[in-house]
Amino acid sequence: MDFFLSLLVKGLILGAIYGLVALGFVIIYKATSVINFAVGELLMFAAFLAVAMTAIYGLPLAAGIGITLALMVLFGFVLERGVLRPMIGRPVVGMIMATLGLGIFLRGFVSITWGVQTRNMDLLLPTKPLQLGSISVGAVDLAGVGIALFLAAAFAYLFQRSRVGIALRAVADDQQAAMAMGIRVSTVFAVSWALAGLTAVAGGLIWGAKIGVDQYLALLGLKVFPAAILGGLDSLAGAVIGGLVVGVTENLAAGYLDPHVGGGLKDFVPFVLMLVVLMVRPYGLFGREIIERV
Amino acid sequence: MINRECGVFKTTYQADMALYTVPLARITVWAFLAFFVFVLPFVVDTQRLVWANLVGIHLIAALGLNILVGLCGQISVGHAAFMAVGGYTAAIMSSRADMPFWIGLVAGGVFASVYGLLVGLPSVRIKGFYLAFATLAAQFITEWTITHVKWIGGGFQSSIIVPRPSLGPLTIDTEREKYFLILALVIVAVVAALNIARSRLGRAFVAIRDRDVAAELIGVDIARYKLLAFMISSFYAGVAGALWVYYLGNANIEAFRIVESIAFLAMIIIGGLGSVLGTIYGTAFVVLLPFILEEILQTFKGVIPVSDIHSFVAHLRFAVYGGLIVLFLMVEPEGLNRLWRNVKDYFRVWPFPY
Amino acid sequence: MALKIAKVLWAALALSLLTTLAIACQAEEEKATPAARTPVAAQTPVTKEPVKVGFMYDATGATQLIGPPYKAGFEDAIKLINKKGGVEGHPIEVIFCEHGYEVPKGVECYERMKAEGVVIINTYGTPITQALVERCVADKIVCNHPGYGIAAAANGEKFPYNFPTAASYWSQGGAAVQFVLEQWQKAGKPGKPKIAYLYYDNPAGREPLDVLRAIAQREGLEIREFAVPAPGVEMSAQVTDIVQRFKADWVITHLFGRSPSVSIKAFKDAGFPLDRVISLVWGSADADVIAAGGWSVAEGYYGLQFTAIGTDHPVLNEIRQMYRAEGQSPPKVMEESNVYYMRGVAQAFLWAEAIRQALGLAGEPVTGEKMKRGMENIKGDIAGLVRLELSPRDHEGGGYLQVWQAKGGKWVLAKDWFRGYRDIVESLVYK
Repeated sequence: MDFFLSLLVKGLILGAIYGLVALGFVIIYKATSVINFAVGELLMFAAFLAVAMTAIYGLPLAAGIGITLALMVLFGFVLERGVLRPMIGRPVVGMIMATLGLGIFLRGFVSITWGVQTRNMDLLLPTKPLQLGSISVGAVDLAGVGIALFLAAAFAYLFQRSRVGIALRAVADDQQAAMAMGIRVSTVFAVSWALAGLTAVAGGLIWGAKIGVDQYLALLGLKVFPAAILGGLDSLAGAVIGGLVVGVTENLAAGYLDPHVGGGLKDFVPFVLMLVVLMVRPYGLFGREIIERV
Repeated sequence: MINRECGVFKTTYQADMALYTVPLARITVWAFLAFFVFVLPFVVDTQRLVWANLVGIHLIAALGLNILVGLCGQISVGHAAFMAVGGYTAAIMSSRADMPFWIGLVAGGVFASVYGLLVGLPSVRIKGFYLAFATLAAQFITEWTITHVKWIGGGFQSSIIVPRPSLGPLTIDTEREKYFLILALVIVAVVAALNIARSRLGRAFVAIRDRDVAAELIGVDIARYKLLAFMISSFYAGVAGALWVYYLGNANIEAFRIVESIAFLAMIIIGGLGSVLGTIYGTAFVVLLPFILEEILQTFKGVIPVSDIHSFVAHLRFAVYGGLIVLFLMVEPEGLNRLWRNVKDYFRVWPFPY
Repeated sequence: MALKIAKVLWAALALSLLTTLAIACQAEEEKATPAARTPVAAQTPVTKEPVKVGFMYDATGATQLIGPPYKAGFEDAIKLINKKGGVEGHPIEVIFCEHGYEVPKGVECYERMKAEGVVIINTYGTPITQALVERCVADKIVCNHPGYGIAAAANGEKFPYNFPTAASYWSQGGAAVQFVLEQWQKAGKPGKPKIAYLYYDNPAGREPLDVLRAIAQREGLEIREFAVPAPGVEMSAQVTDIVQRFKADWVITHLFGRSPSVSIKAFKDAGFPLDRVISLVWGSADADVIAAGGWSVAEGYYGLQFTAIGTDHPVLNEIRQMYRAEGQSPPKVMEESNVYYMRGVAQAFLWAEAIRQALGLAGEPVTGEKMKRGMENIKGDIAGLVRLELSPRDHEGGGYLQVWQAKGGKWVLAKDWFRGYRDIVESLVYK
């Protein structure tokens, strides 16, 4: 029973941090209908910027994070304007490929600029893990869960209550109608990419602190897709819940099924889950059903 | 000036249905063919033959993907998985069942085709990027299965050593012999792809790509044709995978990872979705880019102020690769093919402006 | 049309600006080492033909953390050897090629090196080594792959031109278990320890499984296997299982890339003593310790090595002297990534010794075949770096390993050259 609880709790924590990354993905899709295959690379880029500010240029942590946020938001603007604006109206393959290409470019860029050695991200958190009964949880993990939940709640509030949020949802619903209502679509797109930059920074900081900052961070992007699909591509709550489900399933499968199959189920199971969801209920648990009109 | 179509009359239906009706085009194609068959392999050194062989093998797979994504509009991010199936099938046939090379090749294609049918089943229900995710999942599941199921993957190494391919008394050993084998298969693949595009099958594919609901209304059975597209494209990939395995002498999962799948997508997009010639350009571009870049940067070694030129080149290659993909999509979404068409059109009416 | 051209130019300008920015902002840790293609002018006048060798490595792919320091060590050692007059007067000329752990590029590198007339190649990377086996034999070029590649290639009769020249994963598995049993006895514990084998779920990670299972059967040990799927940055389930459910006494880890450091952190967080964890050779580098959070976090962690390590090794002092004589400071990677650096250094000295043996046995000019014979003649300690006993039958060199422990901020030798369960390993090699 202890073992199960341990796996469950660890899975939930892991899942929340996956959800953090999935949030960035879902925000972009929700507002601009763009599938961002470069989520992992953006995370990695944000993490590297943060490390560059703090470790290389020696800024204090708060200032470093602040500047990284600003830079990532700016990067989001540039990205949206320069790369993705021309993509509107093009076939989906093109959009997917554009983000994939961006991801590859970022990887090369990061390696050229900062080298390949792994760097440590020091978030000035206590190193001793917290003991919950027999389960020990690292401070970074807890911080990750906290930030994930906070961001999910904040974005939910933003989308439901604030003007900007309603504008975002309007544009996602029907661009033409939104324009007719006087909403500037270009501003909306820019804002959504800025928000994505924000989540990238959050995710990059947490995962960077967890596993170190280097190219491997980009591989986290792959874990995002099952989480986002499961939760529903245009549901923020779904992103976090999808992440939780993926985290728990992964852990339980690894813990209980691995010995029988010879291992490696951790990567396998989320994708099988994703496939099943796609076949049975493509819009995920909380996504909105898109009815195609002829 | 170069009036291509002027004065070209056909008197039989057969002549009209030829692949290249314009004499200039026909001459050019034959000339290129002659070049690739008689000139290139004897003039160029082994290293460049390796380049040609790599392009050839990737071309066969890319042609398959072009049929699926370019003609039929079904997004597939898991093409390397089909190559893996074909490759391992061929490897198992040749190493365990002692089957000759050509059976391994065909078996690789057939098995990959059946697998493609399976993977393509979601396409009946979902489309667009949802299908992309499904194929992505298929890619990872395939990788996992091959590495974990000992019977398929050949043990913990997931690597099966394969004997040299032989056609009758001739064993294909040297790079040049491999080149001819690959060239023969490439020619068959290209001609088949061109003909598929012009046939009823191709028209059905294009209809599905453009407006699938409308296609269904006019009587195109979209489920059947989508699955057929998957099967054909996986057949191509399977043959390419088998060829890859015979070329290297062993089957190894590392050659069939997600990176390869993305590379194939890049090949057809940079080349131009839906056109065979574009695929050829795109494949040559993507496969040869790292090698050419390395050679260029080697000559400028002293100029660039970097410590480790080799690592720098390697990373730069990535950045350039990714950057070029994005650049192409921004600037010329229809790829190299469109650039070529622009050139051709320009000369069609030259010296007049239009 | 004009707009299109303008867009292209704009985009190209942006890209080149970005790249220049990247170059300009390069982290300052990178020291200038001259690009290696031509041999450094030797102090003694060189009148003899250079011996050409090829060195492949990965700087952008899955093992990008290993390639650069490994290559740097090799390069520096070759420079040192050439400065001292080369091998019997012959300088060594190296052709480097980066392949990003991709097989097509690896094959292309091989052909390029072959065209230059190399006699020996470092076929970096397991899949690349496997893809090139046939070519090495057909072209009679020695393919050297210490610490990776196929364990079965230790069989010199089956793989005449493949030389692992380092304890294969089979040998490492055997040696690890032997060390664990010895430590268990030394601690005076009764019975047999429960061993957990935590491995990266890829072909290389699974290779020791055959050996471990055979040993478990013979010794009546319980060795349970725990796989970590790629990329191996998350293994809390496996570690929880090992620590809480299986309650292992000792853990043998065989992880790559980022996962060794993640495992150290995970075990530390779970409260499992690190001095009961021993890692195979690719998880026992400085980078793993540092990425885990530093030496204080990894205190007690054991690691197998097939090359001697240490920042105070006499060969390193010679390299430092060489740099100072040229008015440059020695590269930081020598200390920061000492383990991988030393492996490169050791390989350079191994090749020099092989060339010397080849010249002694068969004279000039050096060819691939002579290199093979030269390699097979090597027996003993080389420059205090490796211990190899090669022969036409044994291309592995006996499977000797050292155990080092992370203690007080550096690696300390815990057990000198030894090997474990050689008979089981050989039964697999010569099957």
